[in-house]
Amino acid sequence: MGPLIPNGIIGEGWDFVIAILIGIAFGFILEASGFSSSRNLAGVFYGYNFVVLRVFFTALIVAMVGLMYFDYFGWLDLSKIFILPTYLGPMIVGGIIMGFGFIIGGYCPGTSFTGIAIGKLDALFFTVGLYLGIMGFSLAFPLFEGFYNSGSMGNITLTELTGIPAPYFAMAFTVVALAAFWGTMFIEKRVRKNMKQYKF
Amino acid sequence: MSTDKAVNGQPKYINPYLGGVLLGLLILATVFVTGRGIGASGAIKSAVVTTSNTVAPSATQSNAYMGKFVSDDHSPMYTWLVFESLGVLLGGLLSGLIFGRVGKFRTDNGPQITSKKRWILAIIGGALFGLGSQFGRGCTSGAALSGTATFALGGVIVMFGIFGTGYIIAYFFRKLWI
Amino acid sequence: MNRNYIFLTILMLVLAGGTLFLSMNDEPDQIDPKVLLEEMIQPTRYVSTDQVAKMLIQGDPSLMLIDVRSEDDYSYYTLPGAVNIPLDSLLVNGNLSYLGMPGTKVVFVSNDDIKADQMWVLTKRLGYNSTYVLKGGINCWMQTIIEPQRPSDDAPAVDFETYTFRKGAQMYFTGAGSGESEATKVDVEVRRREKSNVAAGGC
Repeated sequence: MGPLIPNGIIGEGWDFVIAILIGIAFGFILEASGFSSSRNLAGVFYGYNFVVLRVFFTALIVAMVGLMYFDYFGWLDLSKIFILPTYLGPMIVGGIIMGFGFIIGGYCPGTSFTGIAIGKLDALFFTVGLYLGIMGFSLAFPLFEGFYNSGSMGNITLTELTGIPAPYFAMAFTVVALAAFWGTMFIEKRVRKNMKQYKF
Repeated sequence: MSTDKAVNGQPKYINPYLGGVLLGLLILATVFVTGRGIGASGAIKSAVVTTSNTVAPSATQSNAYMGKFVSDDHSPMYTWLVFESLGVLLGGLLSGLIFGRVGKFRTDNGPQITSKKRWILAIIGGALFGLGSQFGRGCTSGAALSGTATFALGGVIVMFGIFGTGYIIAYFFRKLWI
Repeated sequence: MNRNYIFLTILMLVLAGGTLFLSMNDEPDQIDPKVLLEEMIQPTRYVSTDQVAKMLIQGDPSLMLIDVRSEDDYSYYTLPGAVNIPLDSLLVNGNLSYLGMPGTKVVFVSNDDIKADQMWVLTKRLGYNSTYVLKGGINCWMQTIIEPQRPSDDAPAVDFETYTFRKGAQMYFTGAGSGESEATKVDVEVRRREKSNVAAGGC
């Protein structure tokens, strides 16, 4: 049955309407969970607020396990969904650069949009920075075009790489995530006891 | 300090696990309908291409990177991710209105730095994130979350890249936040 | 509060663990259409009559001939050692157990390629590997092995080698007796990846 648009069940014309609706739901969930505050987001790295870890990994395991069931019941053709292509070197470097960006800037792109929506100036400046960063990348593209396209492994999944069926990965991620939820609950309590000045 | 309305000193956020389950179901629904996950950084890329195309069309089209996203029959802004990001703004506003968090312009900053310093750091951080997201083929939502949820190897690499680096360097930047 | 979280943790673990068992009784693996198409347009599934003759003469135990024609045709004439599984009864009476044995090469035989090809596609869709089609079928077998044509005098030397082999094979299969020594003169390697074997002339 699914995915609906690639299979032609929903016409292409609905594409942008659906995009806005999905965006609204995405923005609402991010803001309602507290992702519109950079201090909440950065807290995951200092142990005083693990909301990022909780929301991120809960979403991850729900989506992973859900996909397995959708596939099993025949609702979704997993061979038709988009698999992010892997570029080994550029993705490692990109991830590291984004890690720096996250700590220094305090947001990531999606959350900065919700920050702007409720009037956070730092979110606005972060978005300006994003714009400048991508502009800089585009202008300087000839310099690292070779590296950008290096290490291509195609649209490869964990299952194709290792030969281990996807449910085992879903299970592993779930166990690790649940253990992390319980562990961070105690860490957070401890760190917050020593932190009187933290206000949201 | 903060204009956020708070109940018993705690802001009115929904339970993070509830948020996570809702977000997970949203990703499922998105994949079910569109065949791909959600994203955010792509919209800024479209904005970059659009302004560049308006200011210097010939230079943009000859640019090896931006030229790929320029097309004759519609503006580069007319893409899925731009509409989705517009929705994110609206959704954030909606949630902010419901929970009473929409206020006049303000800045979140750690107790040891000034607002102005926070702005400069936000621009630097944003620029780094923008740069990294091009190498990583997506940001936290597009690559790390949606990518990993569909078991893509690249998504896992980006996820560990972002959070791994974050934890390694957090100590050196602690003055910004605590 | 904590009790709810414990409940949710267990629920999530059960849901995730469930996927492990769900997927195990999933549908039998079907071949990806792309892979199937790639294999279909490649002639690697064909084996020539010479290759089959060679394997029969050598008594290759890994060869499994399956005659996909009707029972009447089968009882009228068939290749030595062939098992009869008509095309329409592939899925009955445990006929599938002939397929997929490790180390055996299954070769489908019909009057020409067509029915054997259909059988090959069916078994591919069922996920069986190492199945092949006798190129040209029984008709080609008759023309090349049972009644080989002598090549014209100006034909290349390989044609004569092939002919000598076929003559030997003819004697072997029609019971003339003294063919074996001649047959071993010519070394026709069975290479299934090769597009056109040296001995593939004829059909």
